[in-house]
Amino acid sequence: MTDLTTPPRGPEDDDPRALAAEYALGLLTEEERTAFEARMDAEPDLRAEVASWQEHFATLVIDDIEEVAPSAQLKTRLDAKLFSSREPSFWQQIWPYGLGGIAAALVLWAAITFGVVTPEEDALRADLVAELAPTPDGDGLSLRAEVDTTLGAVQVIRATGAPPEGRVFELWLIAGDAAPVSLGLLDEDASTIIDLPENLLALLPGALLAISDEPPGGSPTGAPTGAVRAAGPLTST
Amino acid sequence: MTPQEEVEHLIARVAMGDRAAFTSLYDRTSAKLFGVCLRVLNDRAEAEEVLQEVFVTVWNKADSYKVNGYSPMTWLITITRNRAVDRRRVLKRPPAPIETADLMPDSKPGPEASAVAASDARHIRACMDELPRARAHLVRRAYLDGDSYADLAEATGVNLNTIRTWLRRSLIALRECLSR
Repeated sequence: MTDLTTPPRGPEDDDPRALAAEYALGLLTEEERTAFEARMDAEPDLRAEVASWQEHFATLVIDDIEEVAPSAQLKTRLDAKLFSSREPSFWQQIWPYGLGGIAAALVLWAAITFGVVTPEEDALRADLVAELAPTPDGDGLSLRAEVDTTLGAVQVIRATGAPPEGRVFELWLIAGDAAPVSLGLLDEDASTIIDLPENLLALLPGALLAISDEPPGGSPTGAPTGAVRAAGPLTST
Repeated sequence: MTPQEEVEHLIARVAMGDRAAFTSLYDRTSAKLFGVCLRVLNDRAEAEEVLQEVFVTVWNKADSYKVNGYSPMTWLITITRNRAVDRRRVLKRPPAPIETADLMPDSKPGPEASAVAASDARHIRACMDELPRARAHLVRRAYLDGDSYADLAEATGVNLNTIRTWLRRSLIALRECLSR
């Protein structure tokens, strides 16, 4: 037992597939792991090889490992740990804006009903509107969205505020409990008109619209990845 | 929606901070993931500790899920397995012994090997069954129990270099079978 750390050289030592598997299994030494990670950055195939091993090994888990229910208290402890702190969730962040939007809509309705203001003639005949109020991350942002469900389009008017340097604004529809659906990116101009897919039109009344900032080209994941900057519910005009 | 799409959808909603989705995801996956923790740690209290950390990570990191390209269960299992293995190494739990008789390099493939292999050659289980049983056992110990080379050397009494050579050859054989 002279040297337990250096393996003998063999044909398998130069095989990157074995190395990728050893990496996935966590069998490499600290030094080997660092070297392998540097190599992976340069060789996407190697990263794919690791991912493929992870998929296979996970299948082994699905096949071989029995399900065992953890104690019921665990979920309670988990919820206490995650949700009793001050970090508000996305839903917590946006619900006050929902209420604010309803209040704004009521004021608007009253103003129109009592003839204080008259809605201007627009390219779109808006039958749903949302005032998007800024979240704590959306300092100085003021947006209004007007939906013409007959035409199937939404116009977003950005009165004040801009996305952070190197980011773009993305518009999301959140209908009920469903995951947010991207409606598209906002132009750099103050006004953007986005066509709406027909299957979404029925979901719009009462749904929330939200704006997040995303990398150029929009969220890479299909779900918001940046901070939610403004949000508000769609209400009938 | 397939079960996979459902879990993916739940992760997407968790990424938005949706607590109801988090609870659904927990209800659907915690028993499997707890099984993983228990297998590696063989200790209920430690396993629950790790499972809790795993779900804290899931809540905090769900938005990075899509980027890594894993399927949803693989992502969850990989996080869980790696956390449990880290914990096991911190605790310095000795590995369970492996019978020397099980390690004869010339052990024949497992009994169901040929039948399963014929029906689904690219599935890892079938490919594992094509390995000599002892070698397959080492691979399972490395992944499912989180044994390191040192653990396997200790468990078998075989020197570490030999273990490493065996395991690497097994991994390459496995890989060749999987890509057939």
